[in-house]
Amino acid sequence: MSATPHQVTLSAELESLPRFRELIQAASLNSGLSDQDIYDVQLAVDEICTNIIIHGYADMDPGSVILTAEMVGDALKVTITDFGHPFEPTEPPAPNTEAPLEEREEGGLGLFFVYMSIDELQYESSPTGNVTTLLKKKSP
Amino acid sequence: MEIIITSGKIDLISIDGSIDALTAPEVTTTIQNHIQAGHANIALDFSKVQFMSSAGLRAILASVKESRAAGGDLRIAAVQPSIEKVMKMAGFHNIVKMFSTIEDALKSFEA
Repeated sequence: MSATPHQVTLSAELESLPRFRELIQAASLNSGLSDQDIYDVQLAVDEICTNIIIHGYADMDPGSVILTAEMVGDALKVTITDFGHPFEPTEPPAPNTEAPLEEREEGGLGLFFVYMSIDELQYESSPTGNVTTLLKKKSP
Repeated sequence: MEIIITSGKIDLISIDGSIDALTAPEVTTTIQNHIQAGHANIALDFSKVQFMSSAGLRAILASVKESRAAGGDLRIAAVQPSIEKVMKMAGFHNIVKMFSTIEDALKSFEA
């Protein structure tokens, strides 16, 4: 099935996070993705956009984040474009999920969730912007 | 997001909405203030939490640490399946007590 891409351009502020999640929800309507699949994408997008807002645009005026989502075949493809400092979302080491409470670090989980939640991630930084592309396939 | 505190033998803190990087600081501050006011035993009602990111998990982790440091505990009730998945990915089920109903979470403090 083909559908028009959903797109939104918002300022790189934490206040924009709910709007990004809403766009994923709208783009997933009638897509055949399960509620859990949609949640997984919302989580990945939320984590990446949070990093862009907090780290990518650190020490800069908040610029824009452009979010595009569309079904491509049986997968939801999400493109996130920003114009801040390049911040490559590389796969972090898995957290020690058996560690006792006292040893738990409070950071570093965001990118781990991204890699656990989606099927493919690509990142490209160029003078015209940073582009993160996510792909989430329908669960069988 | 809205936070409602219901006082009782054990206090119930209910969160309604999404816990992301925008709203997590309010969760941390509200629970922290509650613990510092002398209520270290808390049941956290998650039945109306629709979304939680790593920022939310950090807030919960900090709150559990704080309540235990004050001699109490923070226990979570009625987590929706998608959010339970997030908690399990992070291994939270190994360090935080979770209950399927609010009643069970409140009762667990009596044992």
